[in-house]
Amino acid sequence: MSSVSLKELTKQYAGNGALSLDSVSLDVAHGEFICLVGPSGCGKTTALRMIAGLESVTSGEIEIGDRVVNDLAPRDRDIALVFQSYALYPHMTVFDNMSFGLKLRKVPKDEIKVAVTDAARILDLEQYLDRKPAQLSGGQRQRVALGRAIVRNPAAFLMDEPLSNLDAKLRVQTRAEIARLHHRLGATMIYVTHDQVEAMTMADRIAVINLGKLEQVGSPRELYDRPANQFVAGFIGSPSMNFVPMHVDSVDGGIRLVSGEGDLDITLDDNEMDMIRRAGVSDVVLGVRPEHIDHRERTGLGLQLRASVDVIEFLGNDEHVHLSSGSHELVAIVDARTPLTIGDSLTLSASSDAIHLFHPESGEALK
Amino acid sequence: MSKETPVGERKGAKLAKRLHVPKFALNVILGLVAVFWLVPTISLLVISLRPESLFGQSGWWKVFTAPSQLTFHNYATIFSQGFATGGVLDSLVTSLEITIPVTILVALISSLAAYSLVFGFWRGRDMIFLVIVGLMVVPLQVALIPVVQFYRELGNLFGLNPYGTIPGVIIFHVAFGLPFGIFLMRNFLSGIPKDLLEAGRIEGAGEWKIFYRIVLPLALPAIASLAIFQFIWVWNDLLVALVFLGGNVHTPLTIFLYDQTRSLAANYWIVSTGAVVSIFVPLVVFFSFQRYFVRGVLAGAVK
Repeated sequence: MSSVSLKELTKQYAGNGALSLDSVSLDVAHGEFICLVGPSGCGKTTALRMIAGLESVTSGEIEIGDRVVNDLAPRDRDIALVFQSYALYPHMTVFDNMSFGLKLRKVPKDEIKVAVTDAARILDLEQYLDRKPAQLSGGQRQRVALGRAIVRNPAAFLMDEPLSNLDAKLRVQTRAEIARLHHRLGATMIYVTHDQVEAMTMADRIAVINLGKLEQVGSPRELYDRPANQFVAGFIGSPSMNFVPMHVDSVDGGIRLVSGEGDLDITLDDNEMDMIRRAGVSDVVLGVRPEHIDHRERTGLGLQLRASVDVIEFLGNDEHVHLSSGSHELVAIVDARTPLTIGDSLTLSASSDAIHLFHPESGEALK
Repeated sequence: MSKETPVGERKGAKLAKRLHVPKFALNVILGLVAVFWLVPTISLLVISLRPESLFGQSGWWKVFTAPSQLTFHNYATIFSQGFATGGVLDSLVTSLEITIPVTILVALISSLAAYSLVFGFWRGRDMIFLVIVGLMVVPLQVALIPVVQFYRELGNLFGLNPYGTIPGVIIFHVAFGLPFGIFLMRNFLSGIPKDLLEAGRIEGAGEWKIFYRIVLPLALPAIASLAIFQFIWVWNDLLVALVFLGGNVHTPLTIFLYDQTRSLAANYWIVSTGAVVSIFVPLVVFFSFQRYFVRGVLAGAVK
């Protein structure tokens, strides 16, 4: 196992002006589980394929362990890649699929047998070693793909959306299995996904990528509590954070936020007023997560709003309530036992520490 | 997946339903068509099994009322010469000497070329492929005379004139087999997911290992059909052999049979017996390659 580090990694495809990956720097510590997450086409898979050696590097450096691997062939990088499609060899049995890499590396037969049997035991594949991929279920194929990576005991595991072909229930189960596997092997893992829930549940740290740029790197909690910008704030958390553009109004030494329309009332604390003053902006984007909106009135600091109910999505324990206040649309999560009907008019609130403020142009979080 | 009905059966039932006929009636009709189709072959077989003297006297179907007519005499006669030059067995060997190398070379070169066209990293692959597809429409007879001249030039320059030799015929057949072979293989290989090759590359396989450990086993159905096509085309070829084997004492079966018909009194007993011999080999080839026609060999590769 070893660390992986990217230095100003950039990718530009021939005949394409835009950068697919724009100067991304990232250090993955030895034994760390890091998720690259972002919307489709953001460059996360390109980054992974560059680490694997399947895409050339336009500029920048990739280090695995303490070697710069830019010019090494994939097979010399000592990494294993789990493909989104699993990429199992259909004409080989599970055993042959898992041992293929070892055979190519001329590992003695008895060692191969031990390695494959061990991996099969960990992944609960022992009784399937003689089957072909076509005779396996999706979940089993996925485990064979993992097994093929494990037997090689590589410096780093790369995974490209390995769960996206599984049904919802199996996905949750396999998610836990991969996390367990990571603890057991203590392996360095770089995991690409577009699903922020996968990233939040499994990763030690998450790197959010958008349009080829690294937006923020941090622990799931950091990303949730202190998103660096509006993109990360909107991407992490489900349903997405609500954003409302507000105008900054100075009144007798203090600052008030006024919304163009709708019935929002915000009382800022000193810290928040300082942030707005430091930024020197006359407009600001207010962000508040649906789960932090209370279906109650409150007094003192924080947000208070009146809105009418448009749509109610019942989820069992709670409900996602889509609200409108003037032209603003918001979502709030409320207890499912709250008696609500469409068209109801409500007063809702959020505490002061649930409020995020973003720069209206750059989208950066105000500090 | 395992409970799947065979496609043929399902389609048959559907067709019967659509045509408003019971399934057994459909089977009877199809059976009759098959028999009708086989009549020439059956008659050939029967003629070869009747004494030469009866050929001019009565039709082959008389055998159904007098099965005692059947005899292996004709076979015994033509095989009695053994492998002597000019005999049917000598021609059989010559046919194999031409057809087997051509089939192997075309399958091998086409697969390699298609691999490079589909998975290679060089520019202009699609352009080259279009040119190759274009070559498929060039009729063989256009090239006969130029190639004979080309062979003669080779003889003048290097003292190696392939004209009149078996390698000369093989080279011509391979050259004309390749465009279709590459076309077929390229289209088949482009259905193999790239992920499989990349997985191989990461696990340590070089291009050659990827080719014969991953791509070739998956391409077996296409290679089998290409081999069958190629084998039968070359096996049945008369024109190329006639032009390029001029003067060679060893001739393939097609020339052997042709020689038997053009003399004033055609040796129909030799023609029929030799023709049955010449059908036999392609049948063996067909049935031995047939097991590679496995549907859905790529199942389970991805997803």
